[in-house]
Amino acid sequence: MRIVIAEDAALFRAGLARLLEDEGHQVCAAVGDGAALLAAADEYHPDVVIADIRMPPAYTDEGLRAAIELRRAHPGTAVLVLSQYIETVYAARLLSASPSGVGYLLKDRVADVDEFTDAVTRVAAGGTALDPEVVRHLLAASRRTGGLDRLTARERDVLALMAEGRSNAGIGTALVLTLGTVEKHVASIFAKLGLPASETDNRRVLAVLRHLRS
Amino acid sequence: MDAGSVASSVLRGPFTGRARREVAFCVLTLPFGVFIPLAGFFATADAGLLLGSGRPWVANGNPSEQAVAAAVGVSVLLTVLLVATGAARGLTAACRGLAARLLGERVAAPAPMPSRRLAARLADGPGWRALAYLMLKLPVMLLELYAVVVFWGAGLANLTYPFWWQFFRNHPPGSHLSAVPVITPFGWFGQGRFTVATFPGTFAAFAAGAGMLLAAPWVTRAVVAADRRLIRGLLGPGFSARLADLERTRAAAVDDAAARLRRLERDLHDGAQIRLATLAMNLGMAKKKLGDSGVVPDADGARELVDAALQGARDALGELRELARGIHPPVLDNGLPDALASLAASSAIPAQLACGLPARPAPAIEAIAYFCVAELLANAAKHSAASTIKIDLSERAGRLMLMVADDGRGGADPARGSGLAGLAQRAAVVDGSLTITSPPGGSTRVTVEMPRHA
Repeated sequence: MRIVIAEDAALFRAGLARLLEDEGHQVCAAVGDGAALLAAADEYHPDVVIADIRMPPAYTDEGLRAAIELRRAHPGTAVLVLSQYIETVYAARLLSASPSGVGYLLKDRVADVDEFTDAVTRVAAGGTALDPEVVRHLLAASRRTGGLDRLTARERDVLALMAEGRSNAGIGTALVLTLGTVEKHVASIFAKLGLPASETDNRRVLAVLRHLRS
Repeated sequence: MDAGSVASSVLRGPFTGRARREVAFCVLTLPFGVFIPLAGFFATADAGLLLGSGRPWVANGNPSEQAVAAAVGVSVLLTVLLVATGAARGLTAACRGLAARLLGERVAAPAPMPSRRLAARLADGPGWRALAYLMLKLPVMLLELYAVVVFWGAGLANLTYPFWWQFFRNHPPGSHLSAVPVITPFGWFGQGRFTVATFPGTFAAFAAGAGMLLAAPWVTRAVVAADRRLIRGLLGPGFSARLADLERTRAAAVDDAAARLRRLERDLHDGAQIRLATLAMNLGMAKKKLGDSGVVPDADGARELVDAALQGARDALGELRELARGIHPPVLDNGLPDALASLAASSAIPAQLACGLPARPAPAIEAIAYFCVAELLANAAKHSAASTIKIDLSERAGRLMLMVADDGRGGADPARGSGLAGLAQRAAVVDGSLTITSPPGGSTRVTVEMPRHA
């Protein structure tokens, strides 16, 4: 995959580039701010852009805004946003601007190389990668308003992984379940929550997130 | 205090600089007690003349001359009173200066009159308070006069009796000589209760004089204390100015706290946090290169990444330590002298420290003093090109005095954003003040004055 990185901390940027290259990806450019990110995306037409949220000059949400703008200008480029904090409102903005091919992860997740590259691949393929932390917040909020009580504990685990954007196979690996069992749980969750059954992983994620946020 | 030290302080009382300065204050401010009584006397005399004449107020259906005169008198009086607030401000400014210089009673001057217009004059709180001070100064002035004339003046005079008695009382035998009165504080302004007729009697006068002089500094101190109270209460900026001041410094304190938290977050975010995230990433990559079990696919790569992670951990620790020290230096728990000594020791320009504090100030004050010195030393290192710095910490009149002076090239200007304005603001929050003298080409001296408790 061809990747552009935007991250203002030089150490982390270099480490990230090395990690992705070690995993066999091509890092076309590694830049330090939102404007340079847009320029690099115009120049290299990467498959995936990995961007820090807080970058110069204002250190607020430049990365997020650049990511949303980039998705609009290059719909074929997937965007994975990294941050040291998780804000549910940022996740909501990202997903409502572009419901597919986006991801939002804590920087900590990079430490698990396989999980991280899996998320990059998923996003590049038009899927979603939401940080477990975002999902936890959404689930907690949703639990307060009710609706999840009808699910079993296992079904809630499956729901959380679905919301992160994982495929049935991914959920099966994570929870050590067979594919058939996962499919059974998923069907049960959709039935209990009254969601329309969806074929693609991404539609499924959106349905789940819409339910959690409503 | 034991009996010995009480006795020595009583005996030394009349010879102290403080006693001299208080007497000087009493004498020099005498005239200030006279203005209002004089003005009042003329006003009353005028009113008395008008009202006492018994002429009718109305004559032939029109106001009489008497009524017109009264109206004119009243308007003149009002005008005088209006001018009086301005005059009182001017006069009391001199009082305030004398009090600051002689008594060490530093009272901030009130804001100048906002405008010369009538309404402004009528609403001029500080002006009316200055006028009130001048009125109340009369009785206080009389007491001060009493202390100076009777206790100091007459006391000194009484001491001289034995010395001149022989020269003046050498009349031929048989001549009738009246007894000489001795002035004591018990009579009414010099109507002495006892008289002296013989030489041995002059020693009684001497003893009385010595007693009066020993008492004089304490009596003076007591009456001057009353004057101090008046000055503090009436000649300062006043309640509304104080309120505005508190509002301003509170806003500054709140903003400062918010800014400091934001800076702290930024430092953590850009420093230790990102270092730890990088460290975790390096370890994650190293783990991958070590393989799941048995044979290590890329030992060299793993080693290199672990080295980088180790370095990252050290850097993160260093940054966290600096950050923690910036929040609250642990050495400050040992007290300001230790904390300042460690600052002085690590100063880029050699610094000499002199600490003379009788007791520990409040922790908040200690922290402000510490950060002031830290900032001033850093400023000096950056801008002053000085070769030595003096840090002096002392207490004067219950207030903490911190002085940092260098022998550099001067030209420090709080308006140019060298952090000096921020320091002044922090001091102002606790009713402290920061004074800078830094002529271009001359040495820089910054004085911070704060109360001992926030």
